[in-house]
Amino acid sequence: MRLIQGHGRYASDWNMAGQLFAAVLRSPHAAARIVRIDTAAALNAPGVRAVLTHADAEQAGFKSIVGGVALKDRNGQPMKKPHYPVLAKDQVAYVGQAVAFVVAESATAAQDATELIEVEYEEQPAVVEFADAVAPGAPRVHQDIEGNVAYVHEHGDAAAVEAAFARAHRTTRLKVDSQRLVCNPMEPRACLAAFDAATGRYTLHAPSQGLIGARTHIEQITGLPAKDVDLIVEDVGGSFGIRGTPYPEYFMAMLAARTLGKPVKWVGSRSDTFLSDYHGRALALCGEVALDETGRFLAFRWTDEINLGAYAGPFGAFIGTQNVSITSHGVYAVPAVYVRSTLAYTNTTPISAYRGAGRPDIAYAIERLVDQAAFEHGFDPLELRRRNFITPAQMPFKTATGPTYDSGDFPAVMEHALKASDWAGFPARRKESEARGRLRGIGLASYLEAAGAGTFNKDQTAARVGDDGRITIFCMAGGSGQGHETTFVGVFADELGVEQGVIEYRASDLAAADLIGNGTGGSRTAAGQGSAFKALARALIEKARPLASALLGGEADYADGRFSAGGKSVGLIDLARKMARGADGRHPLDCEAEASSPATFPNGCHVAEVEIDPDTGVTDIIRYTSIDDLGNVLQPMLVEGQVHGGVAQGWGQVFGEHAVYDRESGQFLTASFMDYAMPRADWLKGTFTRESHPVPTATNLMGAKGVGESGCSGSLPALMNALMSAVRPLGVKDLQMPVTPVVMWRTLNQTARKAA
Amino acid sequence: MYAFEYLRAGSLAEAGDLLSKNPEAKILAGGQTFIPTLKARLAQPTHVVDVARIKDLAGITVTADAVTIGAMTRHVEVGNSAEVRKAIPALAALALEIGDQQVRNRGTLGGSVANNDPAADYPSAVLALGATIITTSREIAADDFFQGMFATALAEGEIIKAIRFPIPKRAAYSKFHHPASGYAMAGAFVADTAKGVRVAITGAGASGVFRWSDAEAALAKSFAAAALAGLKVDDSNCIADLHAGSDYRAHLAAVMTKRAVQKITG
Amino acid sequence: MTKIAFTINGKQVSSDVEGRTLLVDLIRDELKLTGTHVGCDTSQCGCCTIQLDGDMVKSCAMLAAQADGANIVTIEGLADGDKLHAVQQAFTECHGLQCGFCTPGMIMASVGILKANPNPSDEEIVKGLEGNLCRCTGYVNIIKSVKRAAELMKV
Ligand SMILES: Cc1cc2nc3c(=O)[nH]c(=O)nc-3n(C[C@H](O)[C@H](O)[C@H](O)COP(=O)(O)OP(=O)(O)OC[C@H]3O[C@@H](n4cnc5c(N)ncnc54)[C@H](O)[C@@H]3O)c2cc1C
Ligand code: FES
Ligand code: FES
Repeated sequence: MRLIQGHGRYASDWNMAGQLFAAVLRSPHAAARIVRIDTAAALNAPGVRAVLTHADAEQAGFKSIVGGVALKDRNGQPMKKPHYPVLAKDQVAYVGQAVAFVVAESATAAQDATELIEVEYEEQPAVVEFADAVAPGAPRVHQDIEGNVAYVHEHGDAAAVEAAFARAHRTTRLKVDSQRLVCNPMEPRACLAAFDAATGRYTLHAPSQGLIGARTHIEQITGLPAKDVDLIVEDVGGSFGIRGTPYPEYFMAMLAARTLGKPVKWVGSRSDTFLSDYHGRALALCGEVALDETGRFLAFRWTDEINLGAYAGPFGAFIGTQNVSITSHGVYAVPAVYVRSTLAYTNTTPISAYRGAGRPDIAYAIERLVDQAAFEHGFDPLELRRRNFITPAQMPFKTATGPTYDSGDFPAVMEHALKASDWAGFPARRKESEARGRLRGIGLASYLEAAGAGTFNKDQTAARVGDDGRITIFCMAGGSGQGHETTFVGVFADELGVEQGVIEYRASDLAAADLIGNGTGGSRTAAGQGSAFKALARALIEKARPLASALLGGEADYADGRFSAGGKSVGLIDLARKMARGADGRHPLDCEAEASSPATFPNGCHVAEVEIDPDTGVTDIIRYTSIDDLGNVLQPMLVEGQVHGGVAQGWGQVFGEHAVYDRESGQFLTASFMDYAMPRADWLKGTFTRESHPVPTATNLMGAKGVGESGCSGSLPALMNALMSAVRPLGVKDLQMPVTPVVMWRTLNQTARKAA
Repeated sequence: MYAFEYLRAGSLAEAGDLLSKNPEAKILAGGQTFIPTLKARLAQPTHVVDVARIKDLAGITVTADAVTIGAMTRHVEVGNSAEVRKAIPALAALALEIGDQQVRNRGTLGGSVANNDPAADYPSAVLALGATIITTSREIAADDFFQGMFATALAEGEIIKAIRFPIPKRAAYSKFHHPASGYAMAGAFVADTAKGVRVAITGAGASGVFRWSDAEAALAKSFAAAALAGLKVDDSNCIADLHAGSDYRAHLAAVMTKRAVQKITG
Repeated sequence: MTKIAFTINGKQVSSDVEGRTLLVDLIRDELKLTGTHVGCDTSQCGCCTIQLDGDMVKSCAMLAAQADGANIVTIEGLADGDKLHAVQQAFTECHGLQCGFCTPGMIMASVGILKANPNPSDEEIVKGLEGNLCRCTGYVNIIKSVKRAAELMKV
């Protein structure tokens, strides 16, 4: 309701009396030594209060921006992580890296002053592509990292895979790119920081996916105890993974607020988003499959190339290691799997988690590989899948190298999708398209995801009861469009059997309840926090039961929001209203709960049908079908919306989005909406069918599996397989994303020329 | 944006005065190009002279053989004008393909033509219809007006008052939208006029809008899509950038020409 | 500085603005109507869409000075007291929003579509939204919302 009336409160909507405004000077070079920074002219400009550089950050004791988990390879070598200063020190390593932070009385004065800062750079050669970075003699992104390789990740049993390939009847190999993307939530980043000298506490408004993670990072980087920072987040305009951790501007605003004794506000632009929000994807996956004579998979081997960007972003290293490994079997019973990823630094914006963070990428690679194998060895692609699916009878299924899948019915989900998409009617539709001079293709993907792997192994929730009997519930997941308000209130109210109107949800309010729990991420919120709210409702009932029994004069039973005993009854809310607060201010029914929920494996089958105009290379999606097993679905409308969004982002990656850097200069060439093709309302020309095929999981109280990334995981392979199906008959051997109209046109042309 | 002074002109005389007094002043019409340019700090005028409210620059008049449109007429007004739709439906349709509803509600004909963006739509109509650009000091034929990317025959301080479009026998515009910006990656305006067939291509040319004479000659002989078979736009003068090579743009220009002809011939 | 006066959401306001002040900045920073959002710097995203003299425009592509004398409606002024505008109602019913950041602009653009065409087809809706970006919804439910709003406006 608030949001449709313009009453949302996003980071840039906050203001404080006496606030100053900040602007950031960014590096124009991909690789350069900073010889000298002269801030004198900027400091003298009208209205300017401070010009902060690395020296100030260092003096304040700021440490390196945190580069994710501590990884050690099989030889015990740790990942090489260069120091990532909050403001650039003696080198810049990508275009857009923050160099100086100007604070002035107005945003324009601050912006004007950035142009007066003199930075003397000594340009150095840059590398932007993985292959260039790891080539012998490549320029070094960081002087102390030879060869630019940060880490080599291995997972699975190399020898077993080797043996399987040795006895395989046939093999297929396919390398696919998952190109670098800019995540582009619609809200550009912004922050407002204030410092209260009397209490020593900071207030910070910033778009964040989860408070605990963000506060931990703030503590690690600035050295300020997390408890001294009130991070206040009300609405977040999209996050998709990249807004889980704080960015340099937030620390600098905090520092400036303390130094100047005034609140400091920074509002980033879309250009800041393009240049300095962590990027997504930027990896290539080379898959090999070994098959026996009947088409059964004997082994998968993955050789992955991960472009980390210039530094280790907060989740950058997760993507090419843990996340591409956990589901590297897909929905198939594969006896042996081996994954080897090489992670390299380049002179580009660091990457971090974006919508699935490696999981859509591996799902994409698997499903293209399976189609390719079917094509190369003369199998029907559906039949090849049927032959290799893990069956429901095999559940729970321990994969060769990874996790145990708890539940799922992959064959039935595919059959459901085939029916819903009228797969059988495709040949007739293709004829009809051909008559109009169009190429038609249909593609399918049986994807599997891992969701719910949070930083914390449990989620906590709290209930606070008001004097009017209304209940406010809390957890740590910040919302950014997933509809948490509705979901959590629904779960909690349903479990209690009370009207939703008496419950209010508040995310991440640390002042009210000190909880731990995971931010929104890894699509785990529904299962994790949902279970914790279910547990909270149960805890509240148990807390109220003795009080109700006393009031009613007998052991009280609870049903539909009421306690009853011996013919008398009292409503839970009425009971709450009757109770007096304790001396400590707590209401007797205030309570806390927690739930742990291990990883779940949402899966599904997507079918895409496309039509290509060979004259222009334009592809239209004629119909899209998504059949998903997300376990129990709490809010079908919300889940459907998440899937739509994920599929549209998949469409964006397949047909247009691409963060392109100049290979020589390292300049970022598609850094605005004028050059970076975002999906618009016209992306879907035909119909979108979505149906649920739930196979509930028993591993959490909700029976839910999570949803957030399934749209992407299904759509990348389904769309690309559809494109391949349209152009294979013409002799096209391979397509790589993004398949823009010009790429399609050129591919068709070249194939035709070769054939002639 | 850099700082500048905003001035609003109530009349053409006042505008001329403000512009001549301030050599670094710039004209502001709908602002749909100029304001984004200012925001990107790509221009630094001392003064901005808003001409949008000058009455002499407004209005659409139709005579037996021409449609004259005031420079400050917004894209939405051209697109929805019953008179323009009747006289030159292709021109109205083109106007509704520019940008989006919000842009069309502000952007003007004069601003678009004065700006001569190589990917803008209007220049193709102006050139293909053989229109006349009426300015504060003279009348300029379309063939003399466009002088390369963002370059026109306009002198400093010269203001476009209106554009006079001769009514063609038949005409159509076909546009291929740039996937990111929505501007023309290639657009073809085909007009069968009293002075012969004219084909203008926008979006593709490295020196802005241009006439495709081979297509004009072929269509003069036979006004049918088939007449274009085998004809190619010379790609040596087409834009090549990260979005598309010159060969693709040249090819698209030909495809759009064919589609424009098909729109006319049905 | 230029002195300007205009009506916004039915209220008469006046202000002294610098030439370079954007209309959207005046609306957000000075008038504190923060429902109008800024999502880009190239006038592509539509988050800043407002109604100016009856037409939907991008307030990031206008100088405040150009709005002198205008009648402006922003997202905050769309509802009639407690009664939501049909488009707001429809966005709520059809789950036409997720994070809500694009929503004010989407709603204003949708109002524009329906003003020009009370019975839009899917294709016409899509065309009407070409100046607005949404990263969350995939647009499917937004298109549904506009259709629903068309129905609501008929009764
Ligand atoms: C998101 C977006 C999408 C767009 N998409 C398209 C598109 O698809 N196709 C397309 O063609 N255009 C597109 N445009 C540009 C739009 O059509 C502009 O309105 C137009 O190019 C300029 O007109 P204006 O009235 O806004 O002029 P302004 O921006 O005010 O001025 C443009 C230039 O012309 C000068 N000028 C203005 N009027 C006159 C005059 N009467 N005499 C002399 N000089 C003058 C100005 O000094 C300035 O240099 C788009 C713009 C945006 C923001
Ligand atoms: S902020 Fe106005 S269009 Fe993006
Ligand atoms: S709802 Fe988030 S951008 Fe549209």
